[in-house]
Amino acid sequence: MSAVLQVSDLRKSFGGITAVDGVSFEVRDGEILGIIGPNGSGKSTLFNCVLGQLSPNSGEVRVDGKVTTGMRPCDINRLGVSRTFQLLQVFPQLSVRDNLILAGQEHQGSMYSRLIGRADAGLGDAADQMIEFFRLSHLSGEQAGSLSYGQQKLLDAAMAFMAGPRLVLLDEPAGGVNLTMLGLLRERLQAYHAEHKATFVVIEHQMEFVMALCTRVLVLAEGRLIADGMPADIRRNPAVIAAYLGHGMANA
Amino acid sequence: MNRLGAVLIVIVALCAVGLPFFLKPFGVYLISMWVVLTIAAIGLNLTLGYAGQVSLAQGAFVGIGAYAAALLMQAGWPYPAAFVSAGLLCFAVGWILGYPALRVQHHYLAFVTLAFTTLVFLVLRNEEWLTHGIYGIGSIARPTLFGWSTNNPRAFYFFSLGMLTLLAAGTWWMLRSPWGRAFVALRENSVRALSLGLDTRRYTLMAFAIGSMLGGLSGALYAPLVQFIEPNSFALGLSFNLLLMVIVGGSGKFFGPFLGALIAVLLPEWMRIAEGYYLITYAALIMVMMAFCPYGVLGMVERALKAAAVRRDPPMPAVHGEATGS
Repeated sequence: MSAVLQVSDLRKSFGGITAVDGVSFEVRDGEILGIIGPNGSGKSTLFNCVLGQLSPNSGEVRVDGKVTTGMRPCDINRLGVSRTFQLLQVFPQLSVRDNLILAGQEHQGSMYSRLIGRADAGLGDAADQMIEFFRLSHLSGEQAGSLSYGQQKLLDAAMAFMAGPRLVLLDEPAGGVNLTMLGLLRERLQAYHAEHKATFVVIEHQMEFVMALCTRVLVLAEGRLIADGMPADIRRNPAVIAAYLGHGMANA
Repeated sequence: MNRLGAVLIVIVALCAVGLPFFLKPFGVYLISMWVVLTIAAIGLNLTLGYAGQVSLAQGAFVGIGAYAAALLMQAGWPYPAAFVSAGLLCFAVGWILGYPALRVQHHYLAFVTLAFTTLVFLVLRNEEWLTHGIYGIGSIARPTLFGWSTNNPRAFYFFSLGMLTLLAAGTWWMLRSPWGRAFVALRENSVRALSLGLDTRRYTLMAFAIGSMLGGLSGALYAPLVQFIEPNSFALGLSFNLLLMVIVGGSGKFFGPFLGALIAVLLPEWMRIAEGYYLITYAALIMVMMAFCPYGVLGMVERALKAAAVRRDPPMPAVHGEATGS
């Protein structure tokens, strides 16, 4: 299988602290890769470097073989890489439907063609389908800010899928979501994956969620990769257990 | 747009067309001022209300537009060419002023734009070779368009009203297009917008440039309306006044600037019955208004309508296992 994302020897430090310390890995086409690690192990910094939100001190990122290091987040997104954030990020004053149209509109034509084109950028039907897929139909016209936290998490994920991405990076999709909603979210992510053969990278603390969703897991600790394997093997890896001691890994 | 809104727009439009026939020349002058400043306020509402970029420079753009139009007309240019050039000049200057907004936001950006306003004022006052300094520019002619002289107050009012209608329609079109959604996204969360493929840099510069262009076009109407311009008219006071119009009317609401400009232009005149205290009364009223409707008059109306709708038709209970919340 070919690599959708290749990260080689990525380093990022803030002052004296090295958050990501020479990380290399590949994401293969069609897999769901989990990245776990204790708080402060560099997971989100790694995401931000991959997506252009932060520029790494050294190292290289390639998407489908094309070097993306130094590119702006909007350009990387238009190559087909989308993301969700650890802290919820929807546009509270826009309706659910407009949030979704917004998430796709910049992938249609040029900026100036959108000025004279249709108000929904031709994405109305696609948005309605995505709303249906994430079970939000009854909320389509509501302002996103009026939704419950769990519903906003679903919307956040739906927005990441709106442009038909090649690769989706999900930063703690399960954080703060109640159990019922968590089941729905996982089930919908798996359904999307099966239907569209999309490739996911998921950062998550919720072990059960990771073990059920991911086909491969990387473990980060203090900015370094300490393990790479199948979920079941990761659970038994002594180095991982050591890194997680006191974090509840042993009984996960 | 619901039926109530459509009916209201028709009523307001009929008033705007009929009113000048019942007013004395000074009244016509006042509503012309309302029309002209509404254009500038629409521009600021685009930059500030929709795109979320705080600007205290809108008055400066009215000044640049007014001086550009007046000077070009003195140099013998026909009014339409002077009008368009004033708009294009402000578009270009607004684009450049947008660059600081890529680095700083909120009150820091307010100070950058405030400094710009002061700079423009100093140029208008001190560069006498170009602007005639404190003596200003007088006897600015009102244009004759296709044989129609706009020299009398009512004719100039209708000309301005026509321009307002055109520019407002253009702005409405832009705001209902994907650009409108992009501007709101910029205001609400530019980091997320960037991660969804929005070229936030270009949209920010556009928001500044188009908003400033509307300020400049407003100025190009202001000059022939008052027929005499001088630097003090475009000092910080005007920028604050335009900001007041946007906030009082309802920031980020399409009709907010219309209402805000109406209040800011007419209220002080109505308060003249309080004679010596009229400005104090005006200031007190504005403070009371901001305390009771911080989202502007339209924001308050919208909330009241929403609350009434909820009373009539209570929302469905929570669904999808969300009854307990999370």
